[in-house]
Formats: sequence, C-alpha cells, structure tokens
Amino acid sequence: MAYLATNNYFEDKDFVDKWLYTMRTGELDLSWMNAATEKVKPKEANPRRGLTYRDIDLGSYGYTDMPEKVRRNRSYAPRGAEIPEGVPDAQPWVSRKSELWAFNTESYYEEAVSRQWNATTDIPWDRLEGVELPENIGKSLSQLMTFLTEVEMIATDTPAMWLPRLNPDFIEVRSFIASQAMDEARHAEVFRKRALTTGWGLMQASPMNEMALKHLRDADSFSEMSVALHLVAEGNVLTLFRFSEYLSPTDVDKRIFRLVMQDEARHVGYGMQHFKYVLEHFPEKREVLHAHLDEAENISFAGAAATELTEAFIILAGGGMKQENIEEGIKITTKFNLKQMQEHFERLDKCGMPERRERSKLYKMYEMGVAAAQAAGINLN
Amino acid sequence: MGVSFPSTDYFEALKARMVEQDEKFRRLGYIDTTFGVAVGQNGKARNFILEFEVFDLKNVREVASIDLKQVDFVLEGDSPVWREMIENIKRNGQADASHDINTLAHFGERLKIRYDDPDGHDKLYRFMESIQEFFDLSSKLDVSF
Amino acid sequence: MAFYAEKDYTEDETVLEAANKVMQGQLGLHWYDAKTEKVKGKPADFRRGLTYKDLDIGSYGYTAIAENLRDSKSMVSRGSEKVGKLPDMGYVVNRKSEVWSDNVAALYEEAKARRWVPATDIPWSELDKNPLAPEMEAACAQLYTFLQECTQITLDFPSRWVALVNQDFLEQKSWMCAQMLDGSRLFEVFRKRALFGGSGLKRASVHAEQGLKEWLWAETYPQGSVSINLALAGLLLAIYRHVAAFAPSRVDAAIMRYAMQDAGRQVAYGSGQLRYYTRHRPLEIPAMEQYVDDAEHVMLALLGSPEILEPLIIISGRGLDAAEVRAGRIAVLRFIRLAVQEYLERISAAGLKGHSKRSRIPQFIDRIDGPA
Repeated sequence: MAYLATNNYFEDKDFVDKWLYTMRTGELDLSWMNAATEKVKPKEANPRRGLTYRDIDLGSYGYTDMPEKVRRNRSYAPRGAEIPEGVPDAQPWVSRKSELWAFNTESYYEEAVSRQWNATTDIPWDRLEGVELPENIGKSLSQLMTFLTEVEMIATDTPAMWLPRLNPDFIEVRSFIASQAMDEARHAEVFRKRALTTGWGLMQASPMNEMALKHLRDADSFSEMSVALHLVAEGNVLTLFRFSEYLSPTDVDKRIFRLVMQDEARHVGYGMQHFKYVLEHFPEKREVLHAHLDEAENISFAGAAATELTEAFIILAGGGMKQENIEEGIKITTKFNLKQMQEHFERLDKCGMPERRERSKLYKMYEMGVAAAQAAGINLN
Repeated sequence: MGVSFPSTDYFEALKARMVEQDEKFRRLGYIDTTFGVAVGQNGKARNFILEFEVFDLKNVREVASIDLKQVDFVLEGDSPVWREMIENIKRNGQADASHDINTLAHFGERLKIRYDDPDGHDKLYRFMESIQEFFDLSSKLDVSF
Repeated sequence: MAFYAEKDYTEDETVLEAANKVMQGQLGLHWYDAKTEKVKGKPADFRRGLTYKDLDIGSYGYTAIAENLRDSKSMVSRGSEKVGKLPDMGYVVNRKSEVWSDNVAALYEEAKARRWVPATDIPWSELDKNPLAPEMEAACAQLYTFLQECTQITLDFPSRWVALVNQDFLEQKSWMCAQMLDGSRLFEVFRKRALFGGSGLKRASVHAEQGLKEWLWAETYPQGSVSINLALAGLLLAIYRHVAAFAPSRVDAAIMRYAMQDAGRQVAYGSGQLRYYTRHRPLEIPAMEQYVDDAEHVMLALLGSPEILEPLIIISGRGLDAAEVRAGRIAVLRFIRLAVQEYLERISAAGLKGHSKRSRIPQFIDRIDGPA
C-alpha cells in the first residue's frame, strides 16, 4: 500500500469510543459549527443560466482572490473550508496559479457541462442505412477516422494524468480538465463508430503521428503540456475538423464534425487563455515555452510525412482518384495545410508571442508553402 | 406571414422560433457569442449584430458597419449566397451537406469569416451546432428576397 | 523534456520528399489495402442509437480482447493495422482482468445518456424562497463540505489511472473519463449548494481524508477500485439515498437524486470489476482478501467522523432539540447498518465470499448500543 493513514481506525480506541458515545448518547460535539470560515450569500446573476461558478466567486471561496502561490492547502479540503491539523498531503505538483490558470476557466467548464452531447444518440446513424460510398471515398473516410481514433485518446490521457497533480484548490481547472477528458473519450468513440459503419472498418495506424502523441504526454510542466496539447495540437485538429466537415461525404459525417469541433474549439480557447495568462503572470516562462514550441512545431511539421492522412484527404477533397480528382484534392489540401499553420501563428500573436514568427522554423516553412501555392495558382484568399 | 431577407424581422422571426424550441436549444447548451451577419447587395452591405446569451438570441440590430473588435466574428457574403442557403434550408428542412455554415465559409469562397481575435473566431466553432440549428429554423419561415 | 523527436524534421529531406511527392500527385496508397476486418455495423435498436455493444464485432470487439496484451503498447486503435515504428506509451495495466467489468460499455453509454447540469437542473431559487433554519443550514454546509472531500477522491482515482491503462481497453478508458466528469459535476453541485445556503463551508475532516488517501493511493488498480468504486461509492450512494429521504429542501432532494444516479453507476462498475477479477484471477483472491482486511478500517473513519456523523443526525432528526437528535440517531444508526450490510453484500456477491464473516466492521456496529 502506497500510503497508510496515520491511524488504523480499527485500533484507534479514542476515535471509536467517541463515535460510539455520540451514537449512544446523542451528545454532539458540534465544534464544526464554529468553523472559522466565511459566510457568503451568492445570487444567480442570471437565473436562466443558473448558479455558476462565477456566481460563487466570493471572498475566500472564489478563484479571483486565490493567491499566486497556494501555500495554505495541500490536502483534499475544498477551497475556503477550515483545515484542521492532521489532514494528509495530496502531493500536488502544481501549486502556482499562473502555471495552469486561464482567463475565464470557470466559464469554459460550465460551457462544457452545458454542451455535452451523446455520440450514440445525437448522430443520426439511421441515415446511413442504404448509404454505399464509392470504395475510394469509403476507404479514405475510414483512414481519416482511424487517424482520429489514435489522436483522441491521447488527448484524454494527457490532461487526465495532470489532474491529480494539480493542487486541489484549483477546482475550476481540475473540473475543466475532467470535462475535456470526457469530450475526448466521446471523440474517440464517435470516430471509431463511424469507421466501423463505413463497411471498411478501421484502416492503418500512423507511426509518425504516434510519435507526436508521445511528445504530448511527456511534457515537464502543465504549461508546456497545455501549449503543446491545447494550443498547437488541438489548434491543428480544430482546423482539421472544419476541413473534414467541409469535405464530408454525408450529412451524418457533417454532424459528427460539427459536434466535435464545438468541443475542440473550447479546448483551444482554454489553451489560448492559459497561454496569455502564463505569459502575463509568469514572464520567466516565456523562454521555456518557446523551447517547447520549438519541439511541438518540429513534430507538427513531421506530420507532413504522415502520407496515409494526406492522401486520404486528397481523395476526399477531390472526390475520387481520377487524375482531375487528385489535382483538385491537392489544391484543397494545400489550402488546408497552409490555413492550419496560418491560424497557429495568429493564435500565438494574439496571445502575446508575436516574436514567435521570427524564431520559428515552421513559420519559414509556412512562408515557403504560401509562395509555392501562389506560384501554382492556388487561391489562398 | 412572410419576412424579407435581409432584415431584422427575419432574425426576430428566427428568435421567436428559437423560443418555441427552447428545449432543443437548452439541450444544445449555453451559447454565449455576439457575431455579425453582413449581406452584400450591389456593392453595399446590410449589417446585423446578433447577441446570443445563455440559450437565447437576446438582441438583434441592424448597424451601418461592424467594428470587428466589438464582435466575435462576422459571417459575410453576397446576397445570392445567403439566398441560396435559406432556400436550401426551406427545401430540405435543414441545410444540406453543401449549404451548412462551415461548408460555405471554410475557405472563404462563398461566405467569409472576418474576425479580429482568433479566440472570437473560434467561438463560431464552439457554438457551431446551435448556430446551425438557429439558421435551420428558416425552414419554418416564408422568406422573400 | 522527457521525450524529444528523433530529429529536426524541418531539416530532414525525407519528410520534405514524402510530402512533396504526394502533393505532386504521386500517391503511395500504402494504407489503401490495410489488412483489417471489413465490417459495417448498425444499431440493433435505432431508438437507443449506435452503441459500443453494436460494434462488439470480431477483431474490433471488446469481447475478443485477450487477457494479456503483449503487442499493444501504442495509441493504435484496437483492430487497426499496426505498421512501422510505434511508440511505447508506458501502460502498466495490460491485463484485462485488472480493469474490466462486463458492464463497462453499458455504463459508459448510460453515463452519457443521463447527463445533467448542476447550474440549470437544480431549482436553486427554491432555497431562497424557503430558507432552512440556521442549524439545519449549518448541518447542510458541513455535509456538503465533507462530500466535496469525498468527490475530490472519486475524481482523482480514474484520473490517476486512465493514462496507465492500455489503449486496447477503449471502453474502459472511456468509462473512466465519464467517471471524471461525474466526479467534477458532483463536486460542483456540492460546493454550489454549500455556498448558496449562506453558511459557507465548514470543516474538513482529518479522519476521513487520512482514510480516503489510503484508499486513493492503493498500489494496484484492482485494489484501488474495490476501495473507491465499491466501498466509497457504495457508502456515498447510501448517504445520498439517506439525505434524499430526509431532504430538508427540494434543492437537496434534487441534488441527491442526481448524485444517486452517478454513484449507482460507479458501484455497478466497482462490483463488476471485482467480480471479473475474482472470476479470472482466482489465485489472487487471498491477496485481495488481505488488502480488504487491511484497508477496511477506513470505513470506520468515514462512518465515525463527526464531520459527517453529526450533520447526518441533525438532518435526519430535522433539528437540534433532544427529541430531534434522538430521532436523528435512530435514523443514522439504521443508515449505518444499511450501508455496512450493503457493502458486505456487494463484496461477497462480487467474489470475496467469506468476507462478511471475516470483516471486523460488524463487530463495531454491534457495539453501538443505540436506541433503535
């Protein structure tokens, strides 16, 4: 057993006697009634929205007044409760607010709880009855779904493994992370379900992309994990979902991608707001995050060699495998690739890291890609 | 009764239908975004600002121009594109695979998405299903152009 | 950084070549004839939708997962074709019997179908219209403080383990994610309720937290699962049922009904996991018995902590007068007996058959010379 309580309660005579005495006599201790805690009276700011975490952001219970460094609590006591001597140490790794906080964290969580959907019943699976996609479209769709099933569970594992490492005082972030884990599980589910309804089943794994997934898991700090996962990887995947919706062969696929993009955009939103927060409140981290972005972008770029995905996209975008389809598919896929990178740098700019473009090798690749696309007559808008 | 597009009456009519389908929109979840709709006509544009809050369209108004800093994003397109979308929704009961918002806007070829802040831009996707269902309520209106 | 990519790909000619070749129209299509099973799943019942059970087919199904996963160390989705150099993600739970429960796919589906929203599904304003007496509100504040401590643990347990569980156990991992959302939602509703009542939070419990940490930090998943998913969840379910029965307000009744649903699923999984484990690993039964013997004292810490015992008495008796406390004691004693009885029934039904005889808990319960 990795932890043993300070008492074995079978052997703790004082504890047992007190319990039995209370039960026998009804003499209550009631010292908890005088806990040195704050009395507050929250109100629903908007009854239609219900009672939100923002409504209870009050005094010692709130997140606004949390200190940058949480020194008071390392136990499982909820923020604001009286903490007696003797509570255990929850062994958090992260007790500094700027290392995990995001502007509006609480509303991302409330939105997640409010916008949960169900891959089993919210997708009109019945509309697939009698749908037979051409072989090349069906296989390409299955290959895309196969890739996405690989991606999604890492997006569950990575934040989830950080959750118990976060000081229990960071309630709203822990809650957001829990909601994200559920979102990603649902994504893995819906993509798997779609692959297994195409008639082709799952297709081939993507070793190059798996390496990227390994990178996401092995970050040194929560901020580094977040920038690689929420901002870079999920930012790329959000663009990919929009692209996939655009070229979806059925309205069932359209709905799948519309629903998953809602969740993904929320995660990217959290990532952006955390990135802003950490740059503003923990400026010493800027160089560390640059260094992590160097690695994340390197791996992002390596995705170009994951041809099992690019080829599937080209076929889906072009509508088939004839030469004219492939040519059209390449044009559209090129636009997608460049849009993905463009949006990545836009986000970094807006978060307060405009100098990233100067340092980034990926940005140079982006500029070369834009020039090549323009030379090939591809309209990038 | 018919409504014309573009007009605040059109969006008010969608708002009324949204209230009628409260349960459906509650099920989809909070929608907290303010965005613009710009409809190009003969080189000019008619601009509308839609403010969504909680589960509802709280307010819609027509404005002379849209300041991108005051909204999350703007959906912008020429009148024929909007008309094609609305007629498609009417015909099918909802937008078909070629006429949903994301497809029309993805590469900016038919509708364009304009924004100042990528975070605001991403709200289109955060609330995508509610926004799509909102426009799909056009199927219940008689719209003239 | 614990992991670096093998090279700088922006300067790697092979990446550029591979990408350029494809973008020039020379598709390699190495994936096109993937050696995988061709299936076309469909819902057995369209009203229920497309469930994981509907897709429990051949090499993709969960029924066919082997007990020992030796060739699955990466994120490759079960049933896909594995090619090339795939990373080892460091899973430590690679035996089906260590995590599986026959009801896990159904529980995951149920968790999604029975979603609820604390902000909007609880009639919060009722509490403003009909505020509780101060001592009742204080008791509620203490009860909900305690319940927040417990749900920190039910949230942490799946979070600690999910990344360590092999990806082939997809439905299991998905269920653990659903448990995480359940945990955060329950924590949220308990916190909101405590603060909305106006008394603030009260006191954390040393005894409960010490015990909970021992359970949470169990060395193996099956041990932790027995403690958290069966014992703790079963106890919480009993508390939710009890408070619902004596609910001082419509708000508390609504909260407890939702909490019951979530805890009921957790207990179903905890019992199912122990059942699966004991059925498939009979040689491990004595070791599990030993673990339960050693860890079971925590149940006393949870039942006997004044931070839960006293508010339960006040809520059950509806006040602090002598007669109310007496009534409360009687109700709480019945609650304790019921909670322990159900715990022993579950653990016995799940495969530790002789456990009710060896458990030391009943002898302490019998010593309560209560008025019941």
